[in-house]
Order: sequence, then structure tokens, then C-alpha cells
Amino acid sequence: MTDEQDGRGVVIGPAEPEVVGSEFAEVAVSVDHQGNGPRLKLEDLRTGHVRYLDALELETIAWLPDEHLRRLLDPSAHRWREEA
Amino acid sequence: MTATVSQTAMPPAATDRPDYAALIQPDRVHGSLYTDPRIFAEELARIWYRTWVFVGHESEVRQPGDYVRKSIGPQDVVMTRDRDGRVHVLLNRCPHRGNLVCEDERGHSNSFRCPYHGWTFRNDGELLGYPYHQGYGGRGKLKQGMARAARVDSYRGFVFASLADDGPTLREHLGHAAGEIDRLCRLSPEGEVELTAGWLKHRTRANWKLLVENETDGYHPQFVHGSIFSVTGSPIGALYSEKSVAVTRDLGNGHSENDLRPEFRRHGQPMRWFGTTEDRVPDYVAKMREVYGEEAEKILVEGAPHVMIFPNLFIAEIQVFMIQPLAVDECVQHATAVQLKGAPELNRRMVSQSIGSVGPAGMLLADDTEMYERNQLGAEQLRPEWFEIKRGVHRERLDERGLRVGNATDETGMRGFWAHYRKLMEVGK
Repeated sequence: MTDEQDGRGVVIGPAEPEVVGSEFAEVAVSVDHQGNGPRLKLEDLRTGHVRYLDALELETIAWLPDEHLRRLLDPSAHRWREEA
Repeated sequence: MTATVSQTAMPPAATDRPDYAALIQPDRVHGSLYTDPRIFAEELARIWYRTWVFVGHESEVRQPGDYVRKSIGPQDVVMTRDRDGRVHVLLNRCPHRGNLVCEDERGHSNSFRCPYHGWTFRNDGELLGYPYHQGYGGRGKLKQGMARAARVDSYRGFVFASLADDGPTLREHLGHAAGEIDRLCRLSPEGEVELTAGWLKHRTRANWKLLVENETDGYHPQFVHGSIFSVTGSPIGALYSEKSVAVTRDLGNGHSENDLRPEFRRHGQPMRWFGTTEDRVPDYVAKMREVYGEEAEKILVEGAPHVMIFPNLFIAEIQVFMIQPLAVDECVQHATAVQLKGAPELNRRMVSQSIGSVGPAGMLLADDTEMYERNQLGAEQLRPEWFEIKRGVHRERLDERGLRVGNATDETGMRGFWAHYRKLMEVGK
């Protein structure tokens, strides 16, 4: 894995994202440094859909109760709704 | 709901107020304008918390979720970019118990959490929630967000805020000064300036107006900056001589400039404004000619503006300054190197030139700051009570746009500044 550099040649992190994958989903995970501070970049490799998460959002997810997460996993919760 | 902050309360009755008409005369201004804390308090209310004040640049919050800590005079503000790309200016204060919400100079977060009791806000100021909500009768019962500047607008990426609900639009406030920002932007092959080189801060024990007046004072460079001109062999000094054909212009609304174009046109050499020749920056010059065609020669010869935009934005060719008053005798000069989008070759030189002139060991700003602080000490002496602003008053004329111009070393810019200042300070008289 080669290190990613910014425009001035400063090493700012790994270039290649790690992939967290299973038979159901594949998500590339990396830390993005394009903003004024680091953020997690999640890329759904099947659709290309990208979600960034900042530190406070990650902390919030770390504390998300299982029950809340189970509700989010319901396919009709957000992505596959009739009205969407 | 997010509160907007606005400064609508008027200062005390007119009888208690300084007589600005007596203190500000056409050819002189009274020394107390630089030393009286009561006048400084009135300036905050009537200028800094009412008019458009330069806050920062859109390129400093490029990504949604980016934020930077900025200021409007003594007010600590946070400039943010929300998920929809809109730029906000929030007062850095938790509405619960007044704690400072953001401490880092810059960062990336779509929401802010006050470290005192955990109240959490979206980066547009909206209150998202608070811990142990039953103490407030449940979730979503409170609406207090972080206060927002009443008006935020930008021109060519330069972000300004006003704490007043009403008043002239930003475009009206900028008036003829907008054209000088255009002139800076056109030096980029992509027509865009970026302020991403980082800011240097110089705490200065002087009244902010001494700085504003000095920024377009063409009389001092030959004296104050004589040493750096002689060491570097710079041709800049000659621009501000009695033989110079450059002019000082009152741009209206308190803005002023040293228009050096007549001198550069006389020489007709591309990049002379930057103190170099075109063979030293071949990639930049080639790109400019490719993009601008015939217009490129004019742009490369005329160079960048030297303009003071009321009350706190000074564009000094290759640097941008933001002046932040803190007290009647104290301010901070924030300085950064201009970066032109699509011009890496020039940008590297702009950073190194800026380090040499306004960096911690730079020679230009240190010279000026020495004068500012001596000026403040002098102003605190009792006699004579007045500051002169009459140099060149007898040789002023109007240009083709009807703007007042003086010779390169004349105090035309200062007179324009004081006329506008007096107008603002006399509101409600």
C-alpha cells in the first residue's frame, strides 16, 4: 500500500481503501483528507454511493443501540421505500 | 429555529455622544479618535456590528462540513459550509450557558457539541438536541440555536457578514471596490482566487484606523520601507515617489486604492508588477496568454490591485490582510498569501515572497507595525491634538468615473475613509 500525498507532497494517509465485504455487501473504507479535518469515507462498491462520516457522527454510530441499527437494516427503512 | 444576531440598538442619546463633525474635519482629525475607549465602543456598534465586514474566503471551507474560526472585530465567529453547500457565519457561543463551542482554528464536522453540557448543533446553527431531555419537558422542546450573522454574502469567493438585518447590499457596499477584486481574480487563468496558504497573525498595539489609513498611504514607503527596498533592489519605492504617475484614489464608501497601473503601463513589461520578468514564470505567462488571448498582455502588465476595502479587507497585490480590532489601542493583523487557481508556479513564489514580507521574520510588515505602535504612543501625548490629512488636497481631481484622485503620495484615500467613517458614526445623531 502506497501512501497518499497532498498537493505539497505531504503524506496524509493510505491511498488504497480497505474493503469490508461479504456475499451481501462490499464497502470500501478509507480516511479522506480533502476537508479541513479527517473524515471516514464509505463507498458502496456495488452502486458507487458514497457517505462521509465525521468524528462526532462516528462516535454517535459507535453508541447506536442494536435495536436502532436493526431498524435501519429494514430494507424499507430508507433505500427501498415505495415513496422513494 | 436559529436566532440571527442583529445590532439594532442605538448608542446613548446624541447629547452624550462625541461631536464627530468637530473631531473629523476636511484637513485634520482629532487624536482622541485613536485613543478614546468610548469612541471605540461606538465604532463597534456603528461600524463593526452593522456594516459588511470581511470574514474569510469560500476556499477555506471547500467541503461541506468544513469550518474555520474567524472574527468580526472582537466577536469570535465560525464560518461553516453546510451539507447543501451554503456558507454560514455563526457566533461562537452556546445559547445555553455562553460557552465557546468551537476551539480549533479549523476542522471538519457537520455538527458541533458544546463541551460544557453537550448541547449539539448542526453547522448552520440549528439546535439538534441536548442531554437528559426530560429536564426540559422532553425532546425537541428547546429551539435555541447558535446565533447567526444576520446577513452573509460573498463576492468572487470573498465572504462578508453583517450583523444588521438591513442596510446596503454587499454589492452596494463594495461599489467601485468590486472591480479591484475582479482585477485580482483575472490574474488567475481560471479567474479564481484561493486563500488556502494559511493565515499569519500579528498582534499590534495600535488603533485599527492607523492601519487602514496606512494601507493606501503612498507617502511612507520610501521612508519606512527604505531598508527592504535597498536590500532587495526593489523598484517598488519609485512607484511612490513624487515623479510617479501612479495615483491614489478614493473609491467611495471608505474604500481607497493606490492605482499603480499608470506606472506599469509606462514600462509595459509583463510581470514587472510582481518584481520579476516573464522568463522567470514561463508556464504561468503561457497559460495566461492561452486563456485570455490579446487581453493577457494588459493583465500581465497591469498586475494586481492595492486596495483597502472598508473596514477590514486589504488586498496588497500578493497578500490579503484582515484587520481585527480588539480594543481602542489593540488589533490583530491577519495575513495570507494570495493563491491564484491554476497558477502553481506563481503561487509558490507568492508564498515565499509573503514569508519575506509579512512572515514572522519578514521585513515589510515589521516596518509598518513599528510605525503603528509608535503612532499609537504618539497619539496618546496631549499636544498637538490633531492628525493632518491634507497632503495633496490642492491637486486633487476627478477621474473619468467621477472618483477623486490624488498623486501617488497624497492623502486622498485617508480623506475618503474619514468622510465615510463620519457618515456612519453620525447615524442617529
